[in-house]
Amino acid sequence: MPGPAKPPSAKKELLRREAVRCSSFQSIQSNFVLRNQESRVSVLERNNVKLSGSGERSMVFAHGFGCDQNMWKLVAPAFESKFRTILFDHVGAGGSDLGAYDSAKYASLEGYADDLIEIGKELKLKGAVFVGHSVSAMIGVIASLKDPAIFDSLILVGPSPRYIDDGGYVGGFSRAQIDELLESLADNHLGWSAAMAPAIMGNPDRPELGEELTNSFCRTDPDIAKEFARVTFTSDNRDDLQRVTARTLILQCREDIIASENVGEYVKQHIPHSQLVMLNATGHCPNLSAPGEVIAAIKAFV
Amino acid sequence: MPEDPNSTFAEDLAELYENAPCGYLSLRPDGRIFKSNLTFSRWIGVSQLDLLDKKFSELLTLSGRMFYETHFSPLLRMQGFLEEVAFDFVTGDGKKLPVLANAKERRDDDGNLQFTRVVIFPAAQRRRYERDLVDKRIAAEGAKSEAISERMLAEAGLSEELAIAELREQFIAVLGHDLRNPLASMEGGSRMLLQEELSPRAQRIVTLMQGSVQRMSGLIDNVLDFARGRLGSGFALRLDADELLDPVLKQIAEELQLGTPGISIETNFNITEKVYCDRDRIGQMVSNLLGNAITYGDASRPIRFSAGTKSGVLEISVANSGVPIAQEAMERLFQPFFRGGVRASQQGLGLGLYIASEIAKAHGGSLVVTSSSIETRFTFQMPLRPTTK
Repeated sequence: MPGPAKPPSAKKELLRREAVRCSSFQSIQSNFVLRNQESRVSVLERNNVKLSGSGERSMVFAHGFGCDQNMWKLVAPAFESKFRTILFDHVGAGGSDLGAYDSAKYASLEGYADDLIEIGKELKLKGAVFVGHSVSAMIGVIASLKDPAIFDSLILVGPSPRYIDDGGYVGGFSRAQIDELLESLADNHLGWSAAMAPAIMGNPDRPELGEELTNSFCRTDPDIAKEFARVTFTSDNRDDLQRVTARTLILQCREDIIASENVGEYVKQHIPHSQLVMLNATGHCPNLSAPGEVIAAIKAFV
Repeated sequence: MPEDPNSTFAEDLAELYENAPCGYLSLRPDGRIFKSNLTFSRWIGVSQLDLLDKKFSELLTLSGRMFYETHFSPLLRMQGFLEEVAFDFVTGDGKKLPVLANAKERRDDDGNLQFTRVVIFPAAQRRRYERDLVDKRIAAEGAKSEAISERMLAEAGLSEELAIAELREQFIAVLGHDLRNPLASMEGGSRMLLQEELSPRAQRIVTLMQGSVQRMSGLIDNVLDFARGRLGSGFALRLDADELLDPVLKQIAEELQLGTPGISIETNFNITEKVYCDRDRIGQMVSNLLGNAITYGDASRPIRFSAGTKSGVLEISVANSGVPIAQEAMERLFQPFFRGGVRASQQGLGLGLYIASEIAKAHGGSLVVTSSSIETRFTFQMPLRPTTK
């Protein structure tokens, strides 16, 4: 018995649409499940928040692209006597809850800033000090604009509102260079992520110890690292700078290829109540290479 | 280890440093090279003199430099050493030199960094292999998602087929009901006509019409039963032994005899026990079997219709003479829509034997067929009290 007359191509199209509808429905469902899980895991667990120190004021340390809160291990302890120190990992890094990672939410720095605000609310922060390294400097700027009550002081270590050159603005990289960089993340898979695993922080004589520590230190899921790199190096937050109301300290290194001196100068010029301290440290990570200088500059500011 | 001055194998450490099968670099705390070996100089295509005072990171590709700043350097500071890190140098003539490196800091007693030693191993093949693995993984994931979407396409197709099939069967069921009403009017009308004074010719025609109505009624019953069976309600049986079976069987034989003049049906009933069954259904089954015998049998020979009870079993059989059923047709005889080769005017839907066998099954009984040049016989057997349903 013949079925209802329908051109075969139309039927195929109908089936294809049905399949697409099914698959998008499934992804909506799985998103829903993820979101649900996210709300169940507390904010503090999600971002692996670690509290230490004692004091009236709180100081929040945020790590940049590449590592996790261990970036601050040589700096944060110096403030524990006068501040409550708060360290955390961005979702996708270190000991954060990888299950909470959502490509859509973290497709812009705002997703990370929202997490920072949630941490601030959870810990009932008011007028706290924010210390952000590298990309986290701009995450802190965004968070302070969205909720100005949480932080009254921003300390930006190696900040850059835009990495790619744009007309008269010199970010330090051409679009092609950033594209090459993002491409190489795929090309040198092990270089950027898994190769960082061996024996980090470990005692070479006791590899099992190293292994254990490795798993909670500078571990990055390769796919998340790729997306974080894209968000970081294609961000443009220049327009946000002039709206900052918190008093701001910029710590600028010498010979920093990621955030060069002219970029630090640009940030200083555009954030109303800001001052810039030039460090003698070279490279992009003075918090590790010159912790004493960083500590002294922060102490002088707060 | 003390060196043996007599040994001809005493190692020349200076020469080992220069020509070791790996590259050596020593960096000052600011990351500038203050010593390198010949091996590394050869690999990178830059003289040892030109390497002097050059920043290590300046020898890297752009992404290597970013990697150095965001991973290499912080980790080295934190733990004092690095092992098996991967990055790319740029050679003197602009080519990429993929390497693996180990690095170790040397610090003084106060913990101040004195210098960093780096050992370099070429890793072009390993990098190709890794790239290959990543490509394969991407391909595998692509194939997986393709397979999933294909499966969903197939499932969507299947569910559409099911929906169409369901609609079709509902259609048949509704149509069956609509056909029954006019048919009932025709049957009533022809019965009334036969009570009138009719010419012999008119009487014969009306009798034939009545036979046709009966046959059509049977076909509609079969279609409805088939549709119902497929729609999931199955055969609903009303089982009891309150009345006798013989009169039902006799009536069917008479009706068919009447409707198809020229055919003779010999009956032989010997039902001595009560039969626990749905008499309407048994009647329908018998009607289908007799209808089959009329359609396919040799019209010049009588149809033999017998029914009897014996040792707890009811047995009904219908036999006709004629061309035996082909062996290959035997296997599909009880499947729906199966029809033997007959004149188009006699063709049914091919549901009669299927329905008959379903009725037999519903009674916990069996319907079997034997066919030879002597006769074709359908035999129904069921226990007097069916155990199923």
